[in-house]
Amino acid sequence: MDNTQEQSLLQMNLDYDGGHILHETVRWSRFLSIVGIVAISLMVLVFALAGTALLALLPTLAPSIAGLAGLGTAIVMSVILVVFAILGFSVFMLYRFSVLTRRGIDQQDQAAFTEGIKCLKIYFIISGISAILGLLGNFASVINLFLINRIHP
Amino acid sequence: MEEQQIPPVPQDLENFFNITFDVVTRAQLRQAAVWAKVATLCAFIGYGVMLIVAFISPYMLQSEGAGVTTMATSASVFGTLIAVAAGVFINYFLYRFAVSSIRGIDSMDSVSTNQGFNNLRRYFKILGICLIIVLCFAVLGGLLLFFASFGARGKF
Repeated sequence: MDNTQEQSLLQMNLDYDGGHILHETVRWSRFLSIVGIVAISLMVLVFALAGTALLALLPTLAPSIAGLAGLGTAIVMSVILVVFAILGFSVFMLYRFSVLTRRGIDQQDQAAFTEGIKCLKIYFIISGISAILGLLGNFASVINLFLINRIHP
Repeated sequence: MEEQQIPPVPQDLENFFNITFDVVTRAQLRQAAVWAKVATLCAFIGYGVMLIVAFISPYMLQSEGAGVTTMATSASVFGTLIAVAAGVFINYFLYRFAVSSIRGIDSMDSVSTNQGFNNLRRYFKILGICLIIVLCFAVLGGLLLFFASFGARGKF
């Protein structure tokens, strides 16, 4: 009995305001995820149809990653496909967050709500790791810029 | 004795009270907020690096003897400033989501947690509006390209 009372005191409920805010959050995140899924599908389709031609144009389209072209077509294609897969998984997690959280609130389903928040966590973990990798890439390009200037003053 | 009339409780209000932030949900939400904070901090540092590069690289190119005009330099710096300002504005809401949610979960405070969700809502809303604008421009560009090619075919 005491234990139950203590648990209910330590519980935090989703109140009226929080529910409405989450409803709108979920609506926007679902829109973003659906557009993201469509965009990634289109990119994969374009890459599947004209991948070799795009790889030939890589030095012109993206000079900063032109060095990748020297690694070989198979490796570059694998890297690009892995990036697409990670992006796709991230967007899918955002979609699952939207669907499950909404279901959890609408149908008073605690399990679905918790699963939705778990998907949000996975989405932010992928975002965080991508941000760390992006920052490292940024630092590498800055160091490269300084080194080039030092070698060719 | 007068009968007291109890005001009707909205159905939605009843629904929300059945959802609780139990130990598992709180742990998941806290981890989500921590990673969101990591992402925003990395983004802020990245914007700082971008600004430094934007201000320094024209001088470096000039010292290399490359013909960089003042117009091109100022346009590049201005473009970077706009991009950084937009990025900081959007990521600020994600940062506030992280801070408010962590505070709310740690102190079991529903108000702070709601503030966190409200900032997450603003973050997704701004991203969504930006996406709609970009999509509109893309459709407009596609239509212009289509009509330009159509007109060129009609001419010849």
